[in-house]
Order: sequence, then C-alpha cells, then structure tokens
Amino acid sequence: MDAKFFKLLLLGGVVRFYFSRTPLAAMIGNRVEFATPLNSHKRMQEGIFLLQSGIDPYQGDLVHETPLILSALSGLFQKYPHLLPAFYIILDVFTAALLYLMSRRFVRQKQEQQTTEQKHYAKDTAELQFSDLDKYDIPELVIVAYLFNPLTVMNCIGMTSTVISNLFLASFLYCLVKGLLLPCLLVLAFETVRSFYPIVLIAPLLLVFSHNSIRRGLVITLLFIASCLGVAYANFLVLNSWNFLDGTLGFIFYFRDLQPNIGLFWYFFTEMFEHFRTMFLITFQLNATVLYLLPLSIKLRKEPLLLATVLVALMTVFRAYPSLGDVGFYLALLPLWKRCWKFMAHGFVVFTFFLVTLSMMGALWHLWIYAGSANANFYFGATLAFSTGQIFLITDLLFAHVKREFCLFKGQKIWIDGVEARIVLK
Amino acid sequence: MGLLSDPSISTQSKLVDGLARHVRKVCTVLYVAGVAWFFCLALPEFNHGTYLSENALSPGLVYPEIRVDANRLAIQLLEELQRERKDHLSTTPHAWIAAKMNEFGLETHTHNYTLRYPFGGGKEYHGKNIYGILRAPRIASTEGIVFTAPYRAASSVHTDISPSVPLLLAFADFARRKNYWAKDLIFLVTEQEQLGMQAWLEAYHDGDRDLDVSKAYLRPGNLPARAGSLQAALNIEVQDLEIDYVDVRIEGLNGKLPNLDMFNLVQRIMAREGIASGYKQTPRKKRRHSKSLFETNLRQMLAMLATQSSGVPNGNHGLFHRYRIDALTIAAHRRATHATLKGQPGSAAVPLLKAIEGIARSLNNLLERFHQSFFFYVIVNNDRYISIGDYMPALVALVACAFVKAYLMWSTLPSTEAGGELDTEERDADTDVEAEKFELPYGSVLIYLTATLLIGFLCNVLPLQQYFLEIPMGAAPLTTSVLSFLSLIGFILPFVVVLPPGGLELLHVAFLLIYGCSLIVIGLLNFALGFFVAVLTVPLVIALETKEDTSRSTLRHAIRLLALILNPMMIVYVIVLAMTFYQFPELPLQKILLRAATAAMDASAYGLIDSVLYGNFLYFVISTVLLPLWIICWTLALSKRRDYADYVEFEESPASSPQPQSPSQAKVKTS
Repeated sequence: MDAKFFKLLLLGGVVRFYFSRTPLAAMIGNRVEFATPLNSHKRMQEGIFLLQSGIDPYQGDLVHETPLILSALSGLFQKYPHLLPAFYIILDVFTAALLYLMSRRFVRQKQEQQTTEQKHYAKDTAELQFSDLDKYDIPELVIVAYLFNPLTVMNCIGMTSTVISNLFLASFLYCLVKGLLLPCLLVLAFETVRSFYPIVLIAPLLLVFSHNSIRRGLVITLLFIASCLGVAYANFLVLNSWNFLDGTLGFIFYFRDLQPNIGLFWYFFTEMFEHFRTMFLITFQLNATVLYLLPLSIKLRKEPLLLATVLVALMTVFRAYPSLGDVGFYLALLPLWKRCWKFMAHGFVVFTFFLVTLSMMGALWHLWIYAGSANANFYFGATLAFSTGQIFLITDLLFAHVKREFCLFKGQKIWIDGVEARIVLK
Repeated sequence: MGLLSDPSISTQSKLVDGLARHVRKVCTVLYVAGVAWFFCLALPEFNHGTYLSENALSPGLVYPEIRVDANRLAIQLLEELQRERKDHLSTTPHAWIAAKMNEFGLETHTHNYTLRYPFGGGKEYHGKNIYGILRAPRIASTEGIVFTAPYRAASSVHTDISPSVPLLLAFADFARRKNYWAKDLIFLVTEQEQLGMQAWLEAYHDGDRDLDVSKAYLRPGNLPARAGSLQAALNIEVQDLEIDYVDVRIEGLNGKLPNLDMFNLVQRIMAREGIASGYKQTPRKKRRHSKSLFETNLRQMLAMLATQSSGVPNGNHGLFHRYRIDALTIAAHRRATHATLKGQPGSAAVPLLKAIEGIARSLNNLLERFHQSFFFYVIVNNDRYISIGDYMPALVALVACAFVKAYLMWSTLPSTEAGGELDTEERDADTDVEAEKFELPYGSVLIYLTATLLIGFLCNVLPLQQYFLEIPMGAAPLTTSVLSFLSLIGFILPFVVVLPPGGLELLHVAFLLIYGCSLIVIGLLNFALGFFVAVLTVPLVIALETKEDTSRSTLRHAIRLLALILNPMMIVYVIVLAMTFYQFPELPLQKILLRAATAAMDASAYGLIDSVLYGNFLYFVISTVLLPLWIICWTLALSKRRDYADYVEFEESPASSPQPQSPSQAKVKTS
C-alpha cells in the first residue's frame, strides 16, 4: 500500500473518466466485440425499466442479467443516470485494487514456499526464483496491465456488465489467495448463477481449501451447491418467479442469440443444420467447461492460482458470449507468472496476432455491416485467428510453467557427454 | 516437436538466428514474390472469365419493346432543352424538367440542399434536384431502382452531357406505360456534379434525422417522397444521341465497386444491342492491336487500381456504394465524325434506349439485393476478372515482409537475447547500469509513438478548427501550410528528441508492427491504395537498419535520402508533377514545377473537403496514418544515438523519459 499504488489507481480512473466523456464511449457500447447480448448496457437499462414497470423482464428475449443485479442497480439507473460512468469506473478501479492485493499476497506466499524448498533447487536458477524485488514489481505489473490495457479501459467506458463480472472474479481470486472460504464460495456461487461458466473455478477452490482430504472436499462441494441454490432462491424472491433461470443460464446454455461476437459459437450455430443443434450445443458447452477441467486440475494441483488463471482464460476463449473485456481480465493475470516468461516462446507472435486480428475485426465489420461488400466469413476468419492467438498464449503459459518447474530442480543447462541436452516429448 | 509444444528449454532457435542474419534477403524474396504474383495475374491462366451468378437477372430474356417513337421523343426533348439552355447559362432549367416529368405522369418533386463551404470565411451555396417517381403497380413502394442523369449547365467546364436528360425522360415516358414494374422507378436529375447526388442520397436516407446544423457542412434537407429501399442505380451520362461507344464506369467512393453481376449484366445487354461497350473503353481507331495480351491486361489492371486508389468516384454512381446500393455509370461517348454513320440519324439512340430498358427489366426481376457475385475484384478485360482470393496474396506477401522483419528483429533484440544471463550473473558483479542498459525503454518509445500519432491527428483536425477557418485564406494554402508545418515538426523531432539506448530497436519493431497493421486495414478497405503504398514503401522498410555500422555509410545515406523522398507530401507532389508533365508536356520545366506545386496544394484541399463532405478517407490515411509512420521511419533512418556518458547522466535525473512535446526541456536535462 504505497503512494505509487494510489497514484496508479487514480491515473487509471482518470484515463477511464476522460474516455467516457468522448464519443468513443457510445461507439464502444455498440461494438459487438465488447457488448454481447449478455453484457450490453442497453439491455441492462431495458431490464431495469421493465422491472420498475412491474413487467417480468425475462418474458421477452432481451434481458439476461440476474434479478438481484437488476434490482440492486435500479435505483442508480433510474435516479442518477449521469453518475453511471463514474459508478462503473469505481467498480473497475476496485477490481484493479483487488488484483493488486491478491498478487502481493500471492508473491509473498511464493517466496515463503521458496525458502522452504530452496535447498532442492539447482544452482543456476536464481532468475527463475522469485526475487525480493518481485514483491513490488509483480503487483505493480498486474495493476498496470489491468488499468492501462486498452481492452479493459474500453470495456469500462462501454459500461458492459463484464465490469461487474470482473469484479466478482477478482474478489474470488483475492479470497482464494487469502484463504477465506466462505466469501470465496459466495462470490463464486453468485457469479456462477450469473454467467454459468465460472462453475469450473470450483476446482482451484477445492484444491486450496480441501487440504487433500476427500471429506473436506465433499463438504465444500455441498456448501457450494447450497450457496448456488441460495443465490438462485434470493434471485427468485425478487420477482417471485423462476423465469430468470431460463433467461440467464438457459440463454447461455442454449445459445439463443446468434449475434456475432469474438467467440466461436455464433458462426457454427448459424451454419449448422437444425437437427444437429443439440449435439453440437452439448459438445461446445462441454468444451467450454469440463473438457480441460480434469487434466488441468491433475497437472496443476500444486498451483491452484495458475489453474484458476488458465481456466479463466479458457472460459473466455470458449464461452458462448465472450467479449474483449474478459480477455483484458485474464491478460492482467499473466504478470503473476513473470518467472515463467523466460520460457514463453510465442509472446511476440501472440501479441502480433492480437494486434492484427483486432485491427482487422474493425475493418471487416465495417465492410460486412456498413459497406455490404464483405460477409460473415471474413469477420469469422478474424475472430477465429484471434481465438487461435489466445490458445497459443494459454498453451505457451502452461508449457512455460512446466519447463520452469523442471529447470528449477534440474538446472537450466544440462550437459550429457559435453553436448547440451535437448528434452524430447515422448 | 510441434509448433505449440516445443519441449526445448531455450526459446532461441537456430533457424530464427540463422534467418535473422539474412533479414533483408528473406524480405526481398517476399517482396519480389508479391510483385511477381501481381504481374502473373495478368496472364490468362491466373484470371477467370466472368459469368452471371444471380439467376434472377436473366438478361435478355424479354424482347425489347422500346421503339423508334421513344427516340423521336428524345430528339424532340433535346431540341427543347437546347432552347432552354440558352436562357439558363449557368443554372439548371428546373421548371422545364419538372414540367416534362409531370407531363409524363411521374410523381414529381424538387429537393433543395445547402452547402456551407467552410473555408475562406465561409459561404453558402444552394442547389436543387428534380426527381420523379414512377410508382410500381405490383408492389407497395417497398423497393426502388434509381435512374439518374447529371445535368451540367452550359457554362460548365466539363464535357457537355445534356442529352442524358432527354434520354432519361424518353425512357421514363416509355416505362410509365408498362404495368410489369415490381419496383418503384425513380428518375433523378441532379446538378453540381457529385454534390447534388450526395445531398440527394443523404436526404433520402438520413433526411428525417436532426443534424447538428452548426457542424454539418452539407445540409441535405429532407425529401417529400421516397420509394422504399433502393436496390440498384444506373447513372446515365450521354454526350450525344448518336454514340460511338459506351464506357462503363464502376469505381466508387473509397475504391468500392458494385457487384460484379451488375457489371456483367450491363456488358451482356450492351453486347446484345450491338453497342461497343466495355470497362475503360476507348475509341476504336485509337486502340492498337500490336500490344500483347499480357501487356493490355496489365495496363487495364493498373488503370483500374489507379482510379480506385484515390478513392474519388469517377461518376455519380460511386456515392451510391456508401449506402449499399449497387450502381454504375454508362458513359456514352459522341461519335467523332459522321462519316462512319451506319444507321439513320432518326433512330440513332434506339440501341441505347433498348439497353437501358433491358437493364431496367433485369433489375426489376431482382428478388433480393445483389449478393451472389463478387464485390472485390479487379477487371482484367471486359470479360475477365480476378477475385479477392487471387489478388490478396500479392498484398499479403508485401505486408508479410514487415511482420517477418519485426519477428526476426524482436528475437535478436539485446534484452530478449542476452537478458537472462545479464539479470542474474552480472547484476551482482557489475553496477546496475550494466544490467539496465538492456532494459528496453518501453515508456519513452510509447511516448514517442504517441507524439507522432498526435501530429497525425492534428493534421486531420487543425484545418477545420474555427479559428483557422476564420483566417481569410483559401482552402489550398491553409491546408498546405498546416500540413507542411506539422511535417516540419516531424522532420525536426528526431534531431531534438534522442531515444535512450535500445529505444531505436524497440521503435523499429513497433514501427514494423504498426506499419503492417495499417497496410492490412487499408488494403482491406481499399486494395488499390494499400497495394500501391506497399509497393512504394516496402523497399524502404526492408532497407531500414538501426544498427551502429559505420562501414556502410553510403548505404545509410541512400536510406536517408529514400526516407526523405518518401514523405507523403513529397509523394503527392511527385504524383501531381508527373500528371502535370503528362498533360502539359510543352511547358518549360520551371513552369511545370510551379504549376504542379499549386495543383498539389489544391489536391490536399480537395482531399480534405472530400473527406468532410463525402467521407473519402484518403486524406485521413495520408495525414493520420502515413505521416506519423513517415516520421518514425525518418527517425529510424537517421538513427541518432545518445552518447553513453550522456545516457548515464540522463538516467540519474528524475524524469527518465524524454518529452517530445517540450523538446527544450528534454535538452536541458540531458546537457
């Protein structure tokens, strides 16, 4: 908690405030890359208006926000609409602060772990270990990566409800690192009922809190289910109807809105024959949730936070309605793994991929929607390349972690008969 | 060993290191491949024959019914119009046109618009378009087709195309008697060239929208009547009723093209009526047959790309493309001599009328908007084309140079190459300075990039600021002075602000990435512009080098000279100079240089006005994208380095990043 931290927070807020007053804000609020049917500000307004007028917002096909959030924000939306940008900016800055605190704590834990394991490390691995400076460097990098990433800035000025999701995810990670079981469970349950996919984050939660005991794990799982039901019931109480379940979770699972976004769902579901729809729905949703869950949990059982990072990232790539705000969130978690960066071979390629595909998306969207000369295939090409870039990044991170673990104990340079050894995957 | 799962510990690969030593060769190969691919496209093996994709068009399925009486009507109307023109030397005979449309039973309306010309203290111009709607008997005005004829006053400097209006009216009279129309037909006579067309289109689509009157330069007003969503438009420019050949013009705003089906349709029907017609058609006797097929094809392709690259439409049709309406111009040229006249003078325009009827009836068959065929193509010959999938590789190969070079440069940057060892071993041994020497100065490079982008942004914004507009100065000198002042700042910038060690290399990588991205985006929006910019600038980008290398100083000077020449302003001047020289070869050199200078100044002003009125993005691209890129390029070509001692001192001072905006301040701190 030093002066620099507050300066950065203030600067991040100022940047957001400046851009929220330019015409850019309204434009971003309408861009499909940021505002999906799930998180768009307009739909939130619509939902609050319907709620206030005593109409069930979920009878139509516009509103997909949970009743609790709608009723919590309705006062602000109705009475002080001019304060809304400031509200979202405060939420976003708060997210950044949580990430900062989380990463400080995380680095301290890592350093403690390091001192106990120190004697097993190989000689030439000082650069792979967390140094004293990392206590300051890594949290600072995290907060800078969150506050000044154009993706999160634009997400915030577009006032999408991804800002709220990011806040929940950040507080989940904070509680996870801090070891607060109940808040962690509650936040996760809340976010799960809102957007379904965070259910996979139960895996890192179990790894952290169960301490290798099956009974504790079972109890925590039951507690999680109970809190999910509790949150759902609280939502039920707002309107006294279960319609919201279909309007939020059902809408996500059945992928009812084919509006283009940066994900992979929309194009396939526009093109495919109707009678294959159920099969592909299940395949795609499995891919987004449980497919990678088990292998990753086994491999990363000693690194729950890395597991959480990777799961958040995979969720962003494969979810039904992803937005660039989600991408910005997990990019801010990457500095936590600064000590793996040495082994990340594709950093530059991924960066170039992101740059090129994001700039192409704008041009191709213009050609498709406004000029009418290009078509959906062009735009999908760009989004597909963007997703590929993200997958490159995630696999690169995983491999870098594995290599770091190996080198930490075996040394960076291994010589066999005077020749530098190469590791071969078999 | 996979791409994603390379198990080796070191991120350095021998292949990359090997390639990095031959960056220039690799890039040159790519460049040559890209240009060669483009040339290959002119060969018949690489392009395809055109065909009609949209079955609904069925060109020529009906017999043309328009007869010689329509031609007689056209001749009679032309005579009347010629009499009217004597009274309206610099205006349009609105009353006569409206009266004729009323007489033929069209629902006739006038449309008023105002142009608030921003420069030179501001002036207002008023204009008036006349249009008549023929309501379709078979549909409730949900779709429409537009037939337009621009009217040029007798005092206009352009070629006289007054026969277009009588031809349009004669066709309207014929069409009114038919009951098979499934789309409303709009017959529109515009004035003041593209301005009238733009005003009409804006009024048609956004007329009911409240415009900010103080900001809008063109106030289109509103239209009293509309005819639903416009499906297609045909612009008719006829020089005389006795025509020699028809030139089909397709290039629209920002290089957009109508659907290839529309072009094919016109070509088919013109061929059926026996009219010599084609893309960039020229009089027969001027055509030489000695050239090889390859050469004619290549010339045709280059001519098309040249027209497209400026983004200025070559006819009123081009403005329709902005509203997703496929449109083209049929420009009928006057027969030079009457000696070769075949038909009788009394029925000279019948083939053209028949063609217009055929086109109208085919468009009438459309069930949905044009969507079947290509929107991105290059016409090689009247019946051959290249699709986007075939010509894009040429641009991609050129752009790939930038990315390949960026990757190879990045992987050999000091910090990524040797950073690991330095961090650990030498940090303890040496002082911090040694280690920090290889920390890349991200901050200062970012500020430098922002400063250059800001200069570009100012180019786009400054000339339209109120206090600049109030200066009693013409548009051309004003725009040129703002542009040259800002490029001068860009020219001086690298002399004043010197980046810390490693900064130039990082700037180089950033430059290559931004350059590549901009070229891709420009190339997607307007292939011709992107391709020409790439062909011109990629050699410089390949040659640029920031390494300290004193042995090859001639090369370094050559690169600096090349960078200086490739300034966007300079290129505009050179292009204008070449065009002036081509047009007025008889003038002495001094006069040509001077005339080209004034013409270039005018061109920059026109570019700005076009971007404001029509949404042409050429000015934006040159000033806001290419100029900043040039400034960075120039910085890299100079590659000024700070002395090491200087740098140490600089690092000790609190502000570690140079301030490009206040150069004096930065200088004080370094010295």
